[in-house]
Amino acid sequence: MKNMDIVKVIDVTKCTACRGCQVACKQWNEQQATRTHNWGSYQNPPDLQSNTWTLIRFQEYVDKDGTFKWLFRKDGCMHCTDAACVKVCPSGALYYTEFGTVGVHRDRCIGCKACVTACPFGIPRHDVRTDKCYKCDLCYTRLLGDQKPACVLSCPTGALTIGDRATMLKKAYARVAELGGDANVYGDKFVGGTHVIYVLGEKPGVYDELPEHPKMPATVLWWKNFFKPFTLIGIGGVAGAAALHYLIKGPHEVKENKEGGE
Amino acid sequence: MTNHYIDLKNSDVILIMGSNAAEHHPLAFKWILRAKEKNGARIIHVDPRYTRTSARCDYHVPLRSGTDIAFLGGMINYIISNEKHFHDYVVNYTNASFLVNPDFSFDNGLFSGYDAEKRKYSKDTWTFQMDASGIPLKDPTLTDPRCVFQLMKQHYSRYTLDKVSSITGVSKENLTRVYAEYSATGVPDKAGTECYALGWTQHTVGVQNIRSMAIIQLLLGNMGIAGGGINALRGEPNVQGSTDHCILYGNLPGYLKMPLASLDTLEKYLEKCTPKCKDPQSANYYINYPNFYVSWLKALYGETATPETEFGYQWSPKLDDGKAYSQLHLFDRMYEGKIKGLFAYGTDPAVSSPNSLKTRKALEKLDFLVCANIFDNETSSFWFGPGVDPKQVKTECFLLPAAATMEKEGSQSNSGRWVQWKYKAADPPEDAISCGDIQIRLMDAIKALYAKEGGPNAESILNLKWDYKDRDGNMDVLKVAKQINGHWTADVEIDDKGVKKQFKKGDLVPTFGMLKADGTTACGNWIMSGSFGADGENKMAKRGKDDPTGLGLYPNWSFAWPVNRRIIYNRASCDVNGKPYNPKRKLLEWTGDKWVGDVPDGPWPPMADKEKGKYPFIMKADGVGSLFGPAMADGPFPEHYEPLEGPLTKNPLSGQLNNPAIEIFKADVDQVANASEKFPYVCTTYSCTEHWCSGALTRWQLWLLEMQPELYVEIGEALAKEKGIKNGQKVKVSSARGEVKCVAMVTKRFVPFTVEGQTVHQVGLPFNYGWLFPEDGGDSTNFLTPSVGDANTFCPEFKAFMVNVSKVQERTL
Amino acid sequence: MSHHDANMVKVTDATERIAHWILALSCLFCLISGLGLMFHTWEIIPTILGGYYATKWLHIFSGVVFAMALAYAYFMWAKECRFEKDDLDWILQGGGYLWETEKLPPVYKYNAGQKAFFWCIVVFGILIVLTGLGMWFSDSLPVVVARLAFMLHAMSAFVIGSFFVVHLYLGTIGNPGTVQAMFTGKCTRAWCQTYCPRWLEDHDKNCVA
Repeated sequence: MKNMDIVKVIDVTKCTACRGCQVACKQWNEQQATRTHNWGSYQNPPDLQSNTWTLIRFQEYVDKDGTFKWLFRKDGCMHCTDAACVKVCPSGALYYTEFGTVGVHRDRCIGCKACVTACPFGIPRHDVRTDKCYKCDLCYTRLLGDQKPACVLSCPTGALTIGDRATMLKKAYARVAELGGDANVYGDKFVGGTHVIYVLGEKPGVYDELPEHPKMPATVLWWKNFFKPFTLIGIGGVAGAAALHYLIKGPHEVKENKEGGE
Repeated sequence: MTNHYIDLKNSDVILIMGSNAAEHHPLAFKWILRAKEKNGARIIHVDPRYTRTSARCDYHVPLRSGTDIAFLGGMINYIISNEKHFHDYVVNYTNASFLVNPDFSFDNGLFSGYDAEKRKYSKDTWTFQMDASGIPLKDPTLTDPRCVFQLMKQHYSRYTLDKVSSITGVSKENLTRVYAEYSATGVPDKAGTECYALGWTQHTVGVQNIRSMAIIQLLLGNMGIAGGGINALRGEPNVQGSTDHCILYGNLPGYLKMPLASLDTLEKYLEKCTPKCKDPQSANYYINYPNFYVSWLKALYGETATPETEFGYQWSPKLDDGKAYSQLHLFDRMYEGKIKGLFAYGTDPAVSSPNSLKTRKALEKLDFLVCANIFDNETSSFWFGPGVDPKQVKTECFLLPAAATMEKEGSQSNSGRWVQWKYKAADPPEDAISCGDIQIRLMDAIKALYAKEGGPNAESILNLKWDYKDRDGNMDVLKVAKQINGHWTADVEIDDKGVKKQFKKGDLVPTFGMLKADGTTACGNWIMSGSFGADGENKMAKRGKDDPTGLGLYPNWSFAWPVNRRIIYNRASCDVNGKPYNPKRKLLEWTGDKWVGDVPDGPWPPMADKEKGKYPFIMKADGVGSLFGPAMADGPFPEHYEPLEGPLTKNPLSGQLNNPAIEIFKADVDQVANASEKFPYVCTTYSCTEHWCSGALTRWQLWLLEMQPELYVEIGEALAKEKGIKNGQKVKVSSARGEVKCVAMVTKRFVPFTVEGQTVHQVGLPFNYGWLFPEDGGDSTNFLTPSVGDANTFCPEFKAFMVNVSKVQERTL
Repeated sequence: MSHHDANMVKVTDATERIAHWILALSCLFCLISGLGLMFHTWEIIPTILGGYYATKWLHIFSGVVFAMALAYAYFMWAKECRFEKDDLDWILQGGGYLWETEKLPPVYKYNAGQKAFFWCIVVFGILIVLTGLGMWFSDSLPVVVARLAFMLHAMSAFVIGSFFVVHLYLGTIGNPGTVQAMFTGKCTRAWCQTYCPRWLEDHDKNCVA
């Protein structure tokens, strides 16, 4: 996988929600378990957490024909090509790796939570105890060692596969063609294309917590593309204007200086 | 499994019924998905609850727990009345054409020969009519009213769509949909398979559930073929291996029969156990029974097993006639105070046995309890469990630290009968040793005590061959494995298909075909014979990835019993001339002088050769598959009976509400409430992917616990609404025997059934929790379940009983 | 008479000066550390401050100080910075800074520019403090609000930063003699007559009284 533009495909139509990936992720990344409670769902922990970087979401869904379906979706970092999190990260903790994925320099993270809010998929999580933010790095160190990410390795049904972008996209589209109906490929058409691509059995809008049209938030664009440069332009511009004023008009003199002493 | 996991990919229709394959066999499930992807196979899930398996099937059909025979009986009726059966196969390879004893009858739910007092059948009339030479009379036209086919047709004609729908709660549309799709495999080039697990076995009609499917598979010609068969999915509990090595009380290793007290000589025992058949075309392979049994005795008693000592037959333990010794009986007698001590290795009966109250009370009546486990569990700690006053418990409890599976070398048998050798990955921690070592040390001490002090049946102990240690005194697992495989006890010369072969004393027996009843061979488990080569090669450790047939047989990967046969009854995949029925999936073919493909069920030519040819089902005395199965305790044809506890007061099919051949336990805690207003909902229990069995191992694994943290009850939305129960709320589930508190999981995945015109709700709970850990995780679901089991195996009825569900106060301190 | 008491007039008291400098320095520190967090290429700033993580907390702490100083300053100066009618005239003449003008309306304590700067700091200071809090506790806000907080924080920094420079210029070399007001607290009478003639009148009256 060395120096490859990689893509992980999550084929939800092959997922049995065995959650091997959820455990494998915790094991490889040495993340502790949380003492949870049953809250009326198999989905547990109920949401992604700073120590849960991937989560199988369980969803009971009745389609338009009245057919009941139990939808499973492995949630986690989508590894955007135009990643809002990388854009907003002040310390360079989030960065693009040579695989096109979004890596994490954990030692550089300052826990500012900018990524947590900026992410269009709502993925990164902040841990109060370490005051750092966490998310999947697609097992960057494993990729370096030419190994599959832990989740992919653990998947028994072939719902998770990984490879170079072109091949994986081709496979994903072939699978969608095979499935027919509402099946679709999710991930290649926004945020510059994600490095995690879904093969979805239903339309994206059907799935819980999955944005139908994810994009870089407008606030991030205003912030980073407008205000950020303008802060410099503003300060610099004003300073320049002041200098010009000083040179052209000179300092403002006190009018009556007769009585003034020293 | 008659077939094996990988073979599931060769199927065209896969019926998953009585199994939650995706959740409990997540790795094996990929082969089911493979069938869907590569063959476009239909995957059908029939189950009371929509599960993670249903989510990956083409469709799910909800069925009321405990009505599988009604469902399958309806399918038999559909197949026969629509002539969907594979005619040639049925005529040649099953006993469909056999004429049944004229005195055999079935009336109002009872077969002939029933003794109501003993709750037992006399099987005198469950026989075939014989000709003068002792061969069953047959009618190959299948039209004789006394032939099996006609009797069966008549029996299942009662299972009409209306009737079946009314019993099972399955809509008629769904019934015909499944019946039509599945019976479409009754043609030569299609294969249908069935996957089941505890969803079928854990019923008072458990064995007959499976029998019903076996009948369907025989009718459709699906037995013995690639992508067919009837497949029990066994898993990590090593049910396959432990059953092969006689975990059931009535068995000896390799499914030999435990001697009965009345069979007081070896001769009588062998006479009784060796099946006879006068038909020269039937191989009747069990004619070799004496070879297997005497070799077993030689393995047991070594040098002291001689013809003079009846090879030690008198020393070996025997069952009292008419008595059963299942776990249900064990705890029943323990509850009566008749059992003094219990060894519970790798098991947690305080959680996993039915009627936990009874089980836990029974443990209090023991003098001693020895547990060997990798963690403490609710059984070894029962004496300080909820509601137990340690001061009042006299039982002396021991917990021996045992090595976990990855901490020891040895073999593991998967469902496909593959016996795979594995190596130790790590040393056990601290003082933990393998259960084998515990046994060796224990038996050494017992033998020493007997040698010193003597005692009753001292010969049984003292003559026991017991040399399984290495130089350091630890268990030598290879020695055990080789003893299981078998060896010669003398120098011999064998005539193997015309070739003379010399073997020395101590040489390993390469196949069970060479075992002898004269004491020249010793074999711990005949079906495992051949797991080593004569040269000592450990075939279980083979890891060859070649697949010459392309069917995924992988003959050089590990060893599959018997004799590395990957699909049993495989001769039935060919017609009477040995030509494969389905040339696309050629499992076996007769080339005129030999079989090519899988290891055949015997070397004989196909049955069209009237001289040397044999019928395909060689382990059956008459050589054919049993549509009529007189070996069953509860009838030669499966018949629908209601579970011991159900919602109905009357069986819609007959006057016999419950299985007439089941044993009813009568302790004060064995309360039953059938069709009671107090307990109006059908309940079933199951496991979840995240936990394993009683959870005694997995609950300590915090990553798993995080995903499934505590006991829950799954309730359909309609029932929850009726009871005012909200998702995530704490509720109480109670039965006539006890109650548990748990979290309500309100779901669309349980739908109400319409049964005999009434709405019947069903709920379900996992059985993976116990009071010991985690603290607030809930206690055993088996407080609810009844102590009653299958008529043949006594496998407990965990899957269908009646409960009530009610709200309790929200979680308080 | 105090008239010839001294040439210098006390224009600020010590509290005002201390408050001013706390506000100014915390603001400046926030600006500098904030720029360090905004531009990866200016890693020198966090490096000097002890790394990114330290910078984050120093930024937050100085933000808190800024918030408190701002609150104090508000109550201290709000009254004096109320706009009055003449302020419009002042503004229309550009305060005399940009072109020659002789008819500037006499200022009381603060001219309209100073007032505008004060209110700008108050409004955007409150905004930057609130959005800063929003960023700090973003996990307890709806994501839309949190995202706005991040954006508006940057916007406020842009506004405050720009005005800060204007203030710095006009308070120092742009208006010689002014800076004393925030050091010694005393300015020349002439300075007062130029920048706050009406206040000087009142001041003198009070002194007489």
